[in-house]
Amino acid sequence: MSPDASFHLDPELVRFMTSGISMNAGSGSADGTPSQCRVLGCRVDPGTDLVTVFFAEPQAVDLLRDVARSGKLAVVFSDPPTHRTVQVKGSDARRVPLAEGDLARVAAYRTAFVQCLLPLGFTEPMVRTFLDCPDAGLVALTFTPEAAFNQTPGAPAGSPWAPGA
Amino acid sequence: MLPTRALRDCLDGDIPGVVSTCAADGTPNVAYMSQGQYLDRNHLALSYQFFNRTRQNILANPRATLGLIHPQTAQQYRVHLTYQRTETTGPVFESMKAKLAGIASHTGMSGVFRLLGSDIYRIERVEVVPGSTVAAPIPAVDGLSALRACMERLPASPDAESLLDALLDGLLEHFAIEHALVMMLDPGRSRLYTVASRGYETSGVGSEIPLGEGVIGMAARERVPIRISHMTSEYAYGRAMREGAEQRGLGDLLETAIPFPGLAAPGSQLAVPIPGAREPIGVLFVESPADMRFSHADEDALVALATQVGGLFRLFLAELELGEETQPAAGQPPHPEGAPLRVRHYPANDSVFLGDDYLIKGVAGSILWTLLKDHQALGRTQFSNRELRADPRVRLPDQSDNLEARLVLLHRRLAEHQACVQMEKTGRGRFRLVVDRPLELEDMDPGA
Repeated sequence: MSPDASFHLDPELVRFMTSGISMNAGSGSADGTPSQCRVLGCRVDPGTDLVTVFFAEPQAVDLLRDVARSGKLAVVFSDPPTHRTVQVKGSDARRVPLAEGDLARVAAYRTAFVQCLLPLGFTEPMVRTFLDCPDAGLVALTFTPEAAFNQTPGAPAGSPWAPGA
Repeated sequence: MLPTRALRDCLDGDIPGVVSTCAADGTPNVAYMSQGQYLDRNHLALSYQFFNRTRQNILANPRATLGLIHPQTAQQYRVHLTYQRTETTGPVFESMKAKLAGIASHTGMSGVFRLLGSDIYRIERVEVVPGSTVAAPIPAVDGLSALRACMERLPASPDAESLLDALLDGLLEHFAIEHALVMMLDPGRSRLYTVASRGYETSGVGSEIPLGEGVIGMAARERVPIRISHMTSEYAYGRAMREGAEQRGLGDLLETAIPFPGLAAPGSQLAVPIPGAREPIGVLFVESPADMRFSHADEDALVALATQVGGLFRLFLAELELGEETQPAAGQPPHPEGAPLRVRHYPANDSVFLGDDYLIKGVAGSILWTLLKDHQALGRTQFSNRELRADPRVRLPDQSDNLEARLVLLHRRLAEHQACVQMEKTGRGRFRLVVDRPLELEDMDPGA
């Protein structure tokens, strides 16, 4: 993947990425072993497009190690009711301290994801349990989005993301 | 130690797994997985539906990491995998294809989710991800003790018919499975026919389905359990096939004359082959109106039961071969009263009609016709399974053919029809023909 300086997230995609949907991130070790961790919320900074994603540190040990080495990060965002799925990738990911408002952002994300999954038959305790993490255990990775891909199931899956997809 | 049970629960549940891979240049990729299947302690299979980045990556770098969430406890797992190969036919593929069709239907993805292959991965390591969990609910049925209770009564069954009754009664009593049936395989015709059922409006005994058709036909053809947690019309059998039968010939009409007894709107289905010496001798099938009714543990239990039933059937067969049977005594010449009933036999497919009512066809039809001919010509009422097995008029397709199952079918069809001809057991492997009305036998092609 070659960085594309002209790539920008449009407001609709930003709204999607920061809503109460399922999020997972991946990186890889030097020998090509993939690492993976569930994401507990996302912030996109207006103006810079910088994407920040949150993790429970004990769950993200391998991912943090791999990102520290390569900076490469892929984050997949998927809306369970519609299966609409977008993956965003970057190569300059780095660990950053949580900013003001991030704890509230993670808390709001949990509540929104519960609301997303309740109609599908999941219970609130179930969803809150797999999103659980004490505030002190939260860590953040920030990266510049270089490319996005449509991953909604179907023939166009894997193609570069286009607005409205 | 591999948390086998937890992995199977995760792969059975409604929470999609997440697959991470890396391209040759190390660029990561993360994708949601539609379906996974536990194969054994060292392998699992993931569905291959689209040629996408995950696919490109595993062909270049076979390492993958699968993230799973336990559907009851919320425990997260990461399974570290190495891609081995892709299967596009066979038991794993067909079992996944059926399951995926159910998932696709349930998630509104019919027409989008099509299984191109089953990607087989070796399990390298399973990581329990630190995090909170909730206590798993206590299951309503303790599968192992239910299995034990169910199995204990099977060997006490003296014959095939009581064995099948014990099996289906046991499923109801110990596993609370209310809708179940057993179909036997007719290898010569590549069809399965129903010999016993529970929980349906009509028994459906005698109804048939082709090998390879629907959940049951596919389980028999591929010799693998097929379990669908969300039913899909793709694997439903029955109604559509019966409709329009009038436009086809007599043979087709007879095959649809006895309706298949399945639920109109099943949520879950599970079909388990009953193993024989070579090919399966039949299929045990259970279903429920509820989604996700049958777990991997239920599948295990039914496989164990079907294995025992298959073994007992072979024991009955061996007893038939070796057993000392007294020559059946000649019965008293029958003198039933009343108006004679016309009984027609069509040699082309051995179908037998009592009056205008179709009763049965195939080998069971041939058995009935042989019994009735001997009854009329010789006044015989006593018969043995063993002599029927050797009788060339019965035209058993194969020495290993399941005569016991044919007799169960014939006995039940006559009983359900409240026919003027009935079969009564008189001992192990022996029965009496009871005819309470004069019969006029008419072979529709006497030269055949």
